[in-house]
Amino acid sequence: MLTEPRKTVRHFLVALAVMLIVGLPSTLLAQEAQPPDPVLEDKLELGKRVYFKRCVWCHGVEGGGDGPSADRLFTRPRNFIQGTFKIRWTDSGELPLDRNLIDTVKNGLPGSAMPPWGEVLSNEEIVSVIQFVKTLVQDRDFADEDEEVYVQDFGKNPWGTTGPYHLGVPQEDIDAGKEVFLQNKCFECHGGEGRGDGNPTMKDDWGFPIFAADWQQCWNFRGSRRNHYDPFNVVRTISTGLNGTPMPNFKDKITIEDRWKLAAFVNALCPRKKIDKLTNKPVPDFLIQSRFTEGPVSTDLSDPMWQAPDDDPGIKSRPDGYTGKEDQKWHYVAMAGQITRGDRNFKPKVDNLWVMSNWSEEEQAVYYLVEFHNRFLSIDPAYPDGVAMQWPGQLEDLFGAEKPYFIYGDSKKPVDVWKANFMVKNYNDTNAPEPNGYDLDVSVQEQVGRGFDAITEKETAGGVQVVNSKYHQGRVKIMFKRSLKTENPDKTDVQIPVQTFVPVSFLQWSGWDKEHDEHMAISTWYYTILVPPDPASMLYMPPILGVAFFGFQMWLVWMTKRTRRMAAEGKVK
Amino acid sequence: MNNVVKGIILYVVGWAAFHYGLFPQMQPKEFSWVANRYVYFLLFVAYCIGFNLVLKLKPPIALNGLAVWLMGLYFYKAVLYPPIPWTLLITYMMLWTIGTFLYISQDPVTFAEFRKPIVKTVIGDYKIARIITFIALPVLVMGATYKSLQPRFEEPVELRTVHPAPPATTKVHGKSYTLEGLQNPFRTDEQDNYVDGGPGGSALPIEGKFPFLDADKHEYMKAVTEGGTIFFENCHYCHGDQLNGLGMFSHVFNPTPANFIDPGTIAMLRESFLFWRVSKGGPGLPNESTPWSSAMPPWEEHLKTEEIWKVILFEYWYTGWHPRTFDEESSSGGGE
Repeated sequence: MLTEPRKTVRHFLVALAVMLIVGLPSTLLAQEAQPPDPVLEDKLELGKRVYFKRCVWCHGVEGGGDGPSADRLFTRPRNFIQGTFKIRWTDSGELPLDRNLIDTVKNGLPGSAMPPWGEVLSNEEIVSVIQFVKTLVQDRDFADEDEEVYVQDFGKNPWGTTGPYHLGVPQEDIDAGKEVFLQNKCFECHGGEGRGDGNPTMKDDWGFPIFAADWQQCWNFRGSRRNHYDPFNVVRTISTGLNGTPMPNFKDKITIEDRWKLAAFVNALCPRKKIDKLTNKPVPDFLIQSRFTEGPVSTDLSDPMWQAPDDDPGIKSRPDGYTGKEDQKWHYVAMAGQITRGDRNFKPKVDNLWVMSNWSEEEQAVYYLVEFHNRFLSIDPAYPDGVAMQWPGQLEDLFGAEKPYFIYGDSKKPVDVWKANFMVKNYNDTNAPEPNGYDLDVSVQEQVGRGFDAITEKETAGGVQVVNSKYHQGRVKIMFKRSLKTENPDKTDVQIPVQTFVPVSFLQWSGWDKEHDEHMAISTWYYTILVPPDPASMLYMPPILGVAFFGFQMWLVWMTKRTRRMAAEGKVK
Repeated sequence: MNNVVKGIILYVVGWAAFHYGLFPQMQPKEFSWVANRYVYFLLFVAYCIGFNLVLKLKPPIALNGLAVWLMGLYFYKAVLYPPIPWTLLITYMMLWTIGTFLYISQDPVTFAEFRKPIVKTVIGDYKIARIITFIALPVLVMGATYKSLQPRFEEPVELRTVHPAPPATTKVHGKSYTLEGLQNPFRTDEQDNYVDGGPGGSALPIEGKFPFLDADKHEYMKAVTEGGTIFFENCHYCHGDQLNGLGMFSHVFNPTPANFIDPGTIAMLRESFLFWRVSKGGPGLPNESTPWSSAMPPWEEHLKTEEIWKVILFEYWYTGWHPRTFDEESSSGGGE
């Protein structure tokens, strides 16, 4: 006879054995090869109809990625013929699962022209169109017996962080992720700080140039499935590689635990900003606030007055030991190719700028620090890099919301352009990451625009200076300075008043891509304002009003008591 | 007192259950007479009245007044659709506050009942409440004064006319066109017979009429194909691969690019209006439409006249809309 506890133990052991026998093969099988999802023939007709209405324009009649739009897109549309699909759960080089393709169609590929189709097409249409896409693959066959796919197990998010911002990963895991980053030499392509500035010579499987991802702009991660800060996306990419690109898989080189830590490191680099779900981009800061300083403004980039994290302070609070101004921030300025007039630029390499500003009462001058990511800068002096601020030349003559035309003004309303042209000193685009950054050779050009084809040098310059500049691990930093008022003999310099909304816009040229003149990147009109100092009344008015209100309360008490007393005495009802 | 606590709990829990549980269910994408936000609000009101009656809570008038006032705020802020600007919200809430006050002071008994806790606080019968309010209120006044004196700046709001009145004539590539009566020369398949319902209800081309595939068999599809080709070489950066105004550059520009799927754009415009807008672009707009910030190119600089017409044809084909035509009932309204 067995005693009760022993019985329990035996039952337990039997249960365990059964679980092992039943469970082990199935867990093993999950890692086993399986045939790819076959083409569902009955869906093909609908799929073909969807394809020839929606997809053919970019992916082409035969799926060769050669539709009408292809030549004017950087990151060309995918060529389906070889069966190479980027975003998968299967091993590197293998065909994708149907659900991977469905997710790609539904959510689109941020940072490219592929939009999310989930709101436009029905589920059935999406399932059908990917069946048709599978038939466009010529070099491989989803029904081939030799084709096998291994579906990877990515494990679970070890920190249990949640969207949209996935904050709260412990710093030691992020630091451990950085170690993995260094050991595996990710910087060779992605650059020393992950801005994708490592290797300018890469090509995709079809011989077209391709760049490594900029981790500090994670809203452009292709497989982010509109969940831009989720470390899972990074784990999947590290584990499966990106077929057709130089991105290999690290499934066997890095353990799954370390892959999650590496993903946490990659994600920690990306500024937390509010992302617009419709466009997959951060929401621009349309008002650039210039902070007041009584004395002179420092030109030292490490000075506290130029400190602010990239993150939105409403999302990620200032880090411990933050010494900068409490209200200082980086303003996000969205950029696009100038595709409106003249020589159009369909493939801009810079799609945003970060702008910060201070102004000094003593110097009567305003400073704008303009920074942006550019993977490679020009090594050809014929095509220097450039960035410019564009202002209404005659602000005082504008009425209401009126502004000059946003591309170099118009014949009636000129623009004042402050342009910094620069070459990097001792730089080659193939250099290894340089932690100290590079100095720039900057020359300032002041121009008057009366139309994109009527740009002239100013006869009398307004004294714009670039007082500091740097190129650091893929990030360009240019600090402009100008006095608020100028001599202005030709009425072409903007005169910047305090506490007034002044239109401003930005232009940028990538010399590496031979951008010049109106072949550039451009922003729309933003506003900037020189924020006045806090008024002295902020110090004395609140106590005065507080005391006055307290007095009013006392009067209310006295009145109420008097009324009740009079009621009690029968003088009033 | 116990009833008051019970009532407050039922209000809060009920609101949370209704707002987070039922409200999302009651907002289907398609219109419905039953499942819509206003029916939802009526249900919520019925719940609030219901539990008070069923449980015989007999709440004090102060709680009733508060509930009525908050219900109005909830309606104007969250239920009413489309959302109203805050200036209008303040106006509505002022009226609602007056209404609530009328309800409270409907007769001297309820008014006295409403006043009672306030008077007791003021004269000191509720000692702790008096200390708290008499200290907290001046502190709040101080804080509000400080905040209102701090200089704060928001991006100025600028209004613009999206579809301005078109001119009578326009000159494109040296040729003058009268917009009134101007037709798309490629609209050979006049009456929408290229559209069927298709699964999922979207407008798909009927069997045998596809861009590229049927371009050599149908003159109409040939023009659509060529128009689409031009669109996807030039226009999709802003107006989007789906023609919904969400192209890869769309977020950069302000005003944002037009959404052709929306019934308020090409669906209610004439093709001649589009011809003028496409040819002359942003710089061709009148001042009320902020020509200085529109990124729309004057396409006559980049495209031939016939290419412009083909792109317009494609936009109608893709979206399934039919242009506003020159028949009698619609010809009076100009191009707005």
